Amino acid sequence: MADVQLQHITKEYGDVTAVDDMNLEIRDGEFVTFVGPSGCGKSTTMETIAGLTLPTDGKVTIGDRDVTNLPPKDRGISMVFQNIALFPHMDVYDNISFGLRLRKYEEEEIDRRVENAAEVVQLEGMMDRMPDEMSGGQRQRVAIARAIVRNPDVFLMDEPLANLDAKLRVHMRTELQRLHKELDTTIIYVTHDQAEAMTMSDRIAVINAGQLQQIDPPLVCYNKPANIFVAGFIGSPSMNFLEGEVTDSGFSSEHVEIEFDVDNHAARVGDKVTLGVRPEDVYIADSSSAVEDRSARFEAHSDVIEPMGNEIFVYLKLGEPGRVRMDDQAADDQVLMSVDPDVPVEEDQEMDVVFDRSRLHLFDTASGEAISHGF
Amino acid sequence: MSEESAAERLKEYSPGEEPELDRGPLEQWAAKMISNPERAYKAMFYTATVFFLVTTLFPFYWLLMVALTRQGNLQNIVFVPGSFDPALLAEGDITMGINFLAFVEVFTTVPFHRYIFNSFVIASVTTVIVIVVASLAGYVFGRLRFKFKGPLLLLVLIVSFFPPAAFFIPLNQLFNTNVDILRPVLTDGSLYNTPYAMLIPFSALFMPLSIFILTTFYSQIPDGLEDAARVEGTTRVGALFRVIAPLSAPGVATAGVLTFIAVYNEYFFSSLMTDGREHNWAPLVEGILRYQGQHEVLFNLMAAASIAGVIPVALLVVVAQEKIVSGLTSGALKE
Repeated sequence: MADVQLQHITKEYGDVTAVDDMNLEIRDGEFVTFVGPSGCGKSTTMETIAGLTLPTDGKVTIGDRDVTNLPPKDRGISMVFQNIALFPHMDVYDNISFGLRLRKYEEEEIDRRVENAAEVVQLEGMMDRMPDEMSGGQRQRVAIARAIVRNPDVFLMDEPLANLDAKLRVHMRTELQRLHKELDTTIIYVTHDQAEAMTMSDRIAVINAGQLQQIDPPLVCYNKPANIFVAGFIGSPSMNFLEGEVTDSGFSSEHVEIEFDVDNHAARVGDKVTLGVRPEDVYIADSSSAVEDRSARFEAHSDVIEPMGNEIFVYLKLGEPGRVRMDDQAADDQVLMSVDPDVPVEEDQEMDVVFDRSRLHLFDTASGEAISHGF
Repeated sequence: MSEESAAERLKEYSPGEEPELDRGPLEQWAAKMISNPERAYKAMFYTATVFFLVTTLFPFYWLLMVALTRQGNLQNIVFVPGSFDPALLAEGDITMGINFLAFVEVFTTVPFHRYIFNSFVIASVTTVIVIVVASLAGYVFGRLRFKFKGPLLLLVLIVSFFPPAAFFIPLNQLFNTNVDILRPVLTDGSLYNTPYAMLIPFSALFMPLSIFILTTFYSQIPDGLEDAARVEGTTRVGALFRVIAPLSAPGVATAGVLTFIAVYNEYFFSSLMTDGREHNWAPLVEGILRYQGQHEVLFNLMAAASIAGVIPVALLVVVAQEKIVSGLTSGALKE
């Protein structure tokens, strides 16, 4: 068990900077998830911790040791890979005991530990199977057993559930949480699936374009995103953004005006800002469930409706109906609303909607940094 | 018969039941082939197989017949040994003139076992050297990214283009030179008449092919497996020999067998780097030439020796073949 620190980690591949001056501190026993879109540098960051890639610049410490230039085997880590990476020419027992045998443990000790690890991941009685005789979930368990059998200081998981089918993935998610509770080891987990990140981690490190965007507990990332990227990445469906500017009375865009006291927020009149609102914070003005702290009403009409069972997603077009804009990218007048399933909505229905003022987010359009959360 | 009426006649029959035509056996056979091309392909397959089997195995058969012929009956051998005569059975000669003893004489006339041993040892050691070094090279060329990889690989290829004979004269000079520091190891301080004079050039000459084979195989092992091995506790080299090479067993076996056979059969270098005597590490082919005396050539013993010499290689290929096949079926890399 140990804490992990990254100091000014930079990794360049030729002209491409995969990781850019990353500073991170992961506490002992913590479950931290690196999350971000494909190619954002999260896997590269993990590889520098594992020692599979040497950083161009910067320092990695595990516990009290500077491990920046140590080979992977001497770092006290173990790793679970996306493609599972069981050795196909070895049976389950040999796979799990591989690391122990390399370290010349006593045979009885190996047997005892392998048995323990197999028990933790519920693999008893499969010791002489070959990897190709097992299902995806079983193989993943073997990979996890192989990782925990050595009692590593730090446990690295690189998208371990990505190759499993959806049902198994949810199941393994709870298994991993149970495992973390049981082992109490530092776990660093990489995923591009924000649902995995939200459900399992103590803290989420959101990474984009090689840079750390925010590292906070899941709900903090959700409720107080540090910038537009985090706001858009965390949460599904993703947050609505409306571009506008700050006026004397508050926020103003083409269709939406939100009043707030400009002096109380770090915004100046004339600043270009982006308003963020999550689908669940949009309400139909006349419905009974609308919130107390509501914004002014504004006109909208429903465009597409997606009933999900437990809620309904309604794509709203703001402003006067009848105006059809096909370019979705520039659709600054489109807002996604999620309502309870018992709310009656139809397509092309005109309605007034309001936002929950306490849950609005204001971002600087140019830098993307958050200005304030809630008015 | 006019065209129209022929067409009319055909209409009356469904495809299955053709009219009884007056055909010869060959025509009938051809018609069957046309209606059922599978048969034709099968026939072609068997024809080709038989052809290749005969052309490859007949020399062996003939060699065996020559070997079993008694000295002095070495003419007109085709299907049976020259001295074969069933009439001899009546005279109480169970062998009917077949000289089975040739396979014993081979080893009594000349210490041929020692020649086989020499070739076997040289071939085995060369194979081990080649596999180990080519594995390292194959790992680097197949799995690492670095500058000048293409040109270096090309250089290896160019080296393999040189005819081996081009290297002979400088090497012979070199190996015949007495090097003082080698004196404690080698009796007269030169490599001539030692196995090293063959191991060294053979390892170099057969290296490029193995490098190319292993580069291809090693490059196909998923990175994840190597990473897993390194995290689990191996070095890069450890990962190569514990995970990558075992998973490339078919490639390693192919490179190994090709190298072994090439060295085992090698004559040109071996004959010039030794004086041809068995205790000086002369190889198999030199041994076979020992049956050539000044006054007579023991063709039957040469044939028997050839067969005896082939056996170790044949065994090796059979064993390795099993490995190759098992490697192919259990490889199962589902990534």
